[in-house]
Amino acid sequence: MSWKIWSLKKSVWVFHVNTGACNNCDIEIVNLLTPKYDVERFGIRLVGSPRHADALLVTGVVTAQAAGRLREVYRQTSKPCVVFCVGACANHTGIFNGAYHVVGPVDKIIREVDPKAIIAYVPGCPPKPEAMISGVVKALSVL
Amino acid sequence: MTEALQNLFWILIFPGFLFTIVLGLAACWIVRKVSALVQWRVGPPLFQPFYDVMKLMGKETLIPQDAQRTVFIGAPLVGLAGVLLLSTMLWRITLAESDFVGDVIVAIYLMILPSLALILGSSASANPHATIGTSREMKLVMGYELPLVLAFVVVIIKTASLVEPGRQLSLVAIAQNAPVLSISGMLAFLASLLCIQAKLGFVPFDIAESETEVASGIIIEYSGPLLAIWKIMQAMMLVALPLFLVMVFLGGIGRSGWSLVWGIGKYVLVLVLIILIKNTNPRLRIDQAMKFFWVYCGIALVAAIILASIGNYYGINWL
Amino acid sequence: MKQEELNNRLSEIRDKLINIEQTMDSRIFLLCEAEHSFAVSKFLFEDLALRFVIETGIDSEDCFEILYHFSNDETGCVVTVKAFIRDRENPSIESITPFIPAAEWIEREIHDILGIEFKNHPNMRRLILADDWPEGVYPLRKDFKK
Repeated sequence: MSWKIWSLKKSVWVFHVNTGACNNCDIEIVNLLTPKYDVERFGIRLVGSPRHADALLVTGVVTAQAAGRLREVYRQTSKPCVVFCVGACANHTGIFNGAYHVVGPVDKIIREVDPKAIIAYVPGCPPKPEAMISGVVKALSVL
Repeated sequence: MTEALQNLFWILIFPGFLFTIVLGLAACWIVRKVSALVQWRVGPPLFQPFYDVMKLMGKETLIPQDAQRTVFIGAPLVGLAGVLLLSTMLWRITLAESDFVGDVIVAIYLMILPSLALILGSSASANPHATIGTSREMKLVMGYELPLVLAFVVVIIKTASLVEPGRQLSLVAIAQNAPVLSISGMLAFLASLLCIQAKLGFVPFDIAESETEVASGIIIEYSGPLLAIWKIMQAMMLVALPLFLVMVFLGGIGRSGWSLVWGIGKYVLVLVLIILIKNTNPRLRIDQAMKFFWVYCGIALVAAIILASIGNYYGINWL
Repeated sequence: MKQEELNNRLSEIRDKLINIEQTMDSRIFLLCEAEHSFAVSKFLFEDLALRFVIETGIDSEDCFEILYHFSNDETGCVVTVKAFIRDRENPSIESITPFIPAAEWIEREIHDILGIEFKNHPNMRRLILADDWPEGVYPLRKDFKK
């Protein structure tokens, strides 16, 4: 494994994107980054700009307004990067399936920009912080 | 020839570039670990800052389309060069006791270069968040530069009575005494500690690079190796600036034996003070920060200068 | 104001209402036609000094309904004005934004989603639908097909 991927596994900087979520998953993500779960042990850090990020935590079913913005944020994240779909809505549109404003689940929008994107799915409504940690660990071990 | 090779070794390996980077990233780790312990959690592992920099070197560099490319790429390099020069100079003075008259002034000028590079780099990124970060950083620099210079003036006044005339401005002579053991020296040390806190970009003065307010204002558009250069520059500043404070106020680092250990202890003390201030304070607004530096620090330092001059004139050392 | 005083004062505008229904102690419904809703809301907001909570739009099969919810904070009683819009082709009602500026955004949202025109609204622009959503298509109407 190249040194790039090895150092990516040791230090993951996350950026949180909300594409029209009800905020439950966002609250759980913010819970994850509090001192109680202490993800800084794994090198995970919250950054304020997508250009600094290695992992995008995407919540929410992608609405028509948010689809263009999500594509732009993905383009602005410097590769290599991993996209985490957090929550039932991001994985497969959850309870909003078939609604008038839903463009698609997150992986459909991301694959329009980059067919070879690395996408990981963390199900739950909302997923517990422990589930998110185990999702991140599994995704990084497969890289 | 060997002279040039030896100088190159000094600048690039020990104790210049490589040594200061390693020490700086270790100091970064100390900052993060102590912050974690203060917050009752386990912090990052020992080599975490090294992993961060290595990872950043391996990512792609994205340059915004409207950015001013030359300044965008040149600004981190200018900042790195300034800190490299400053740290090499300070190490050489500590370890080889070779200095020149006026090197305090050169050091003060070199300390401005990183902040100037940040301002230039962020104004070259075509981004409204970066513009806000630029204006805040400019106001912050205007705020803390004057108190920093006044604090060093206090030290120079106090050194004047203790060395022969003409050598007051040389760091070796200043580093022989510990001006902090006097009232004016203590005032100047506290004021300059807070100015160093602002220069390093730590809470309560991390107004320019506030992640939650302006999405990492000044470095928002940087990615990949350029961001790694900013991080390295900040790590090296974490070595050079407390070292400068130790040399000017606390009596310098010795060369061998107990004085070396005592000197390293002084450096760690300054670092821990910075970390504790960082962890116990909220972030200030820019107008609060400027008022703090100009009004409170300014008045304290004017009082310190008056006390130091009186002490110098009458020969009272503890004033 | 106390509950009996509220009930007494509500009888002052009885002539503009179709009916007053009180299903529970804390829930009063004032049913009226669309033409009178402006005067009734103005009375509740200015004369009785109730607090405006939110507006609701409903697509019933034969008419549209706009509900204005006002709260009597002293007793916790919510007074709701139910305005019926009988015209389904061009539904319109008088906007209450001129004297309750807080209603501006909720009326923009009801216009986006149900297509009801609010007369005298100072700032009727698209609020929550996407920028490329076609004009004249109202998603939450009962006859909307995806």
